[in-house]
Amino acid sequence: MKLPEGRLLRSRVVEDPRTVLVDALDRELTGYAVFEPQDALLLEASGRGVVTFRAGVPVVAYHTGTDRAGPPALADLAAAGPFRLRLFALAPADLEAVHDRSTFRIPPGMAAERLAGDPALADRTRAAAPPDRPADAVGPAGDSVGAADGDDGGTGERQPGAVEAFLDDAEKIEAIREQARAEAAERADEWGFDDVA
Amino acid sequence: MVEAFAVASGKGGTGKTTSTLALGMALSEEYDVTVVDADMGMANLLFHAGLAEVETTLHDVLVAGGAPVAAAVYERHGMDVVPCGTNLADFEAADPARLREVVATLAADTDVLLLDSAATLSSRAAVLPVVLADRVVVVLEPTIPALSDGLKVQEYAASYGTETAGILFNKVRDADAIERIAPKAERYFEGPTLATVPASDRVRAARRNGRPLLAHAPESEPARAYREAAATLTVRDGDSGAVADRFRSAVLPESP
Repeated sequence: MKLPEGRLLRSRVVEDPRTVLVDALDRELTGYAVFEPQDALLLEASGRGVVTFRAGVPVVAYHTGTDRAGPPALADLAAAGPFRLRLFALAPADLEAVHDRSTFRIPPGMAAERLAGDPALADRTRAAAPPDRPADAVGPAGDSVGAADGDDGGTGERQPGAVEAFLDDAEKIEAIREQARAEAAERADEWGFDDVA
Repeated sequence: MVEAFAVASGKGGTGKTTSTLALGMALSEEYDVTVVDADMGMANLLFHAGLAEVETTLHDVLVAGGAPVAAAVYERHGMDVVPCGTNLADFEAADPARLREVVATLAADTDVLLLDSAATLSSRAAVLPVVLADRVVVVLEPTIPALSDGLKVQEYAASYGTETAGILFNKVRDADAIERIAPKAERYFEGPTLATVPASDRVRAARRNGRPLLAHAPESEPARAYREAAATLTVRDGDSGAVADRFRSAVLPESP
């Protein structure tokens, strides 16, 4: 996915992708966000996640490490925080070519609902979506998803939703589990739980 | 017999307290159930159970020379409920390590102990209920952060010798998607999907009314789902005395 660099609006490390989505929506950003994971343990799935926005509403997602687009790309960039985040502003015309690729598209509320786990933000994002994106149209055939869903349903067998794609990534899940086990063992010492386990 | 379950999620807002009380009420049709608000830093069970005005709470039991456990036990909706106060100074004065003695005492006289746990894994007090429980019920939402945090809870629990009894999907908005998501999640969790609970305004209304969901809207879809979860959960026979001894002998440091 090729995009002009645009004007850098913000560059910082964030823990939670929600911050980015709120920021983009509040600014009514037309442009894109680049998520670069900072966590060495999860860097096996290296690469960057890119989400584009039109007037603050997410339009397409792509991951450079896995070369996946659409909802699976959201899963690829999930759970790998903290992120180095950069937000860029672009002219709407610069995004047209990328926004025309239906397989890259994500439903307006999906990132907020499934990536950030924030239904209220998802509702706010869907409300801000233009009328030409009704009912979270997604998928190669433009399948319609119920407006309340924001994910998964209606994408059929052809394209799994972000949560499914996350669960399909056994390596990433194992990395999360391994990291939690290491943390738990480390804290058992710290907290004096070692005799309990 | 007694089995202690920690109801945990690792992430806030998944509806743990609603789930704890709902599971408790559903299980109380068959068992003697005691519900404890073990989320000592951010207690809210008292609001859900209509106990906001009570005098004695878990905090009063956990301070040095504090009240006996029995003084903080309230019979509500067919269960014994032990609420926790919301005063931060009380929380700071309380010694979470005393929780094991509280749990041991309660275990002697009940079939099922449900510990409503903190929505974080970042402190000893927060993790303690997961350590003390026999098994953990992981409350999830069908979102990536909730699943990711739920997996962390499971790993912490397993590291401290606590098994996973099952997972519970809460606030489900898309029935079709959950049918695909739940089986995939089950690959990574040690227990079965106990139920998928639909998102519903009835849950919020119950909370506003200070009543557990199963008392406020017993015929609602989410209430039905919780009853299904309770029926799926097989409570194991544990010897009450042995369980109490285990809690008492759990080796924990003396101060936070």
